[in-house]
Amino acid sequence: MEFEAVIGLEIHVELNCATKMFCDCPNRPGDEPNVNTCPTCLWFPGAVPRLSSEALEKASLLCLALGGELQSRSAFDQKVYYYPDLPKGYQLSQAHLPLSRGGGIEVRDEKERIRRLRIHHIHMEEDVAKLVHEMEGRTPISLVDFNRAGAPLVEIVTEPDFRSPHEAMEFLKALRVQVRYAGASECSMENGTMRVDANISIRPAGTTAMNTKVEVKNMNSIRHVGDAIAYEIARQSASVQAGEDVVLHTRLWDPDRKVTLPMRAKFEGPCIPDPVVPLIELSEEWIEEMRARLPEMPAARASRFVEQYGLSGDEAAYLSSDPDLAGFFEALIGHGVAVRSGMHWLTTQLLPAVRDRQLELSNCRVTPERFAALLRMLEKEEINANAAREVLLQLFDGDAPPEEIVASRGFRQISDPTALASMVDKVIEDNPSAVADYRRGESKALGFLIGRVMQSSGGKANPKMIRGLLVKNLESGSRTAGA
Amino acid sequence: MDSVFFYRNSKPAGGEDGALQELKIALQPNVSVTGWPATAGSNALAGFTALQDATVVDRLRRAGASLCGYTVMSEFGFGLGGSSAGEAVRRKIADAELVVDMLGESRLAAARADACGFKPSYGLISRFGIIGLIPSMECPGIVSGNVRQIRGILEAVAGPDELDFSLPDEEPLDFSPQEIDPQKTTLGFVPELVGGLSGQQQNKFMSALEFLKKSGFKVRESRLPDFSRFALVHRIVGSVEASSCAGRYDSVRYGPRAVGAKNWNEMYILSRAIAFGSLVKSYLFQGAFFQFEKYEAYDNACRIRAGLLADMRQLHSEADFLVIPTAPGENLDAVSLEETYRMFDFMAFANVTGQPALYMPSVGGAGIQIVGPRRSDPDLLALGESILHAGRGGN
Repeated sequence: MEFEAVIGLEIHVELNCATKMFCDCPNRPGDEPNVNTCPTCLWFPGAVPRLSSEALEKASLLCLALGGELQSRSAFDQKVYYYPDLPKGYQLSQAHLPLSRGGGIEVRDEKERIRRLRIHHIHMEEDVAKLVHEMEGRTPISLVDFNRAGAPLVEIVTEPDFRSPHEAMEFLKALRVQVRYAGASECSMENGTMRVDANISIRPAGTTAMNTKVEVKNMNSIRHVGDAIAYEIARQSASVQAGEDVVLHTRLWDPDRKVTLPMRAKFEGPCIPDPVVPLIELSEEWIEEMRARLPEMPAARASRFVEQYGLSGDEAAYLSSDPDLAGFFEALIGHGVAVRSGMHWLTTQLLPAVRDRQLELSNCRVTPERFAALLRMLEKEEINANAAREVLLQLFDGDAPPEEIVASRGFRQISDPTALASMVDKVIEDNPSAVADYRRGESKALGFLIGRVMQSSGGKANPKMIRGLLVKNLESGSRTAGA
Repeated sequence: MDSVFFYRNSKPAGGEDGALQELKIALQPNVSVTGWPATAGSNALAGFTALQDATVVDRLRRAGASLCGYTVMSEFGFGLGGSSAGEAVRRKIADAELVVDMLGESRLAAARADACGFKPSYGLISRFGIIGLIPSMECPGIVSGNVRQIRGILEAVAGPDELDFSLPDEEPLDFSPQEIDPQKTTLGFVPELVGGLSGQQQNKFMSALEFLKKSGFKVRESRLPDFSRFALVHRIVGSVEASSCAGRYDSVRYGPRAVGAKNWNEMYILSRAIAFGSLVKSYLFQGAFFQFEKYEAYDNACRIRAGLLADMRQLHSEADFLVIPTAPGENLDAVSLEETYRMFDFMAFANVTGQPALYMPSVGGAGIQIVGPRRSDPDLLALGESILHAGRGGN
């Protein structure tokens, strides 16, 4: 029997707010354990939570970026359970009245067809503390780090619209781009700022039943989400074909063995309205203000790039996929760099160099301004491409303007015809066999001769001029010889 | 340690000026004062020292009051079992005492001390630094020998507080003294309540109504057949909130931790077993039962609560204020939930609705409560002053 998968995702995104959700502690979970805590996030007696306006704003921007409809009334509930990572016996979350309903993202399926994958709702919640299990001699001990307790999260709950691992991965990639654009989170599964649980069930292809689902957790990259879903579909199909029932439970993805393994069922506590955090009421004006704060989103930006800069659809989509990259590109153009060379040098030279150094475009020394200055020298033929590549590497190591590096380190291109002519004469004289090859019509020989002149100039000769001089000399020489 | 105070402030000096200058105010150890043993009467907080001043404490100090210490309180201020609330005022060691009112404690403590007790409107006083148990029902109440003093203290502590985000965004109330014209004031009484009183209590209550009529007030019947639902709603919603609220006392970050647990689930169970006394424990169990097993009952209770609020608004469209009897039992040291709730039968309604309620010990020879709509606190206190003034023959 042919099976079809029915997949829904629950995605936790950690908002990049300066503070925690209900107190003023820094939102830096990675600091030394338990330094970012206060009587409120440790829930000392007498503490009163105060919802951070930044968390509400960033969560709202995220909802709008995903096409959600912000609700005029939403509220926090208490998700009750007892676990040492939870400092007060309940987690503040929005179970009954979420911040946003609806929304969705368009992706391309395996056959390049556009599919709109819908979002059911998006709600806010606070993160819990981090547990670290260690041994003290022979005694197992559990340590609690409350730095993360109270960190602002949103949870995006999708409709069960996904039919394949591919769609889930495409959705997550697109979601990441939208959320980064909204400025709400880095959305990195590797760093834990995006955590994805997948609910998977199967049914005979072409039927509409919703069968018992299995939840899979613990994937820490988008690729792992795809792998885990693929594994789970295969596992469930095999067990149904073997006549076994699928049982509602939760499984953990084991990235080393590339399998999902059952985990002990986690207790799901009840959700009761929280009597302390007030109802959140959003006015139309406030929602419009948030909408106005959203930047130009990737799809719109890509079409503008096609229109305004004459890029191809693929180029525009690529540049727009990351707000930093798109911003860098536009800044280059703003600094007077030509579109084609800006696009080419940014994607083929700068980006790989940034990645090699494990930096980000937004935090490296090669600012758009410095990179543009370099590219302008290239366009004006003050330096050649070799030199530009060399100088680029040096831009990473210091803050000197590229003009100064070019001048002080002798990268300036040799464009003086007299100097070049004598180099060319010397190379012709030293390489009679290549000259002879060329004159026999082997055009490859010209490349070799250009290379020799470049070498003798220490890489600084203007390659266009050399070519011109060489061709002129060789042609005239052959005429003389043939006369 | 004496029978009244759990902790005496060695430096109770008040401010040199301010509206409450020279006023001695006693607190319960569920109101945080930096450095004081704010145990809230519970073993769960044994040895706990407050890290911050509650907003009410900060405001009392700024108004010049001197804080004389913590009195002995019931566990988390739930009921009055083992509590000395009101005693400091009765013995005139303090001019006033703050008693958090979650079931009617400030009013019942006043009745015991032959003093006035006031539960303000919900949302009028910051709960920052108050170690509470039932967030949607509780509010710091004031026990004092006279209503004017209550007005002064309320004026000093009430109003918006940026540390308590849960306070509704409302205009501050005007507490300046005002005249009440009895001819233009309608007082309602609930006949269904009078039926629930013993013969002697009925007589007393009727004599209080007579006194009010003689003082010139218009007195009318206001029917409220569902009155018994207040206690029921309070018991369900209150216990659920208490169960959540006490969830933080898990002995992970602070509090007594039992030895010998094999894992953390056992650690919770054993530690919480030594953290709470039996009354609070049974209340928390009850709340957990509704949370985990009978959520629909809790849901219904919340709906009924909204209905009761509407009923009360309806009554207040007919009468400016309500006169409610009090019938404190003999035994204030209730040990069971049943007894505790019975003791507060005539009081808990104001916690359910968030209305202000003033207990006065002797109106025509009876202790009664007068109640107004939410945020009518200044008018209600003015009414109280005018009634007491009439009682002293001022009319």
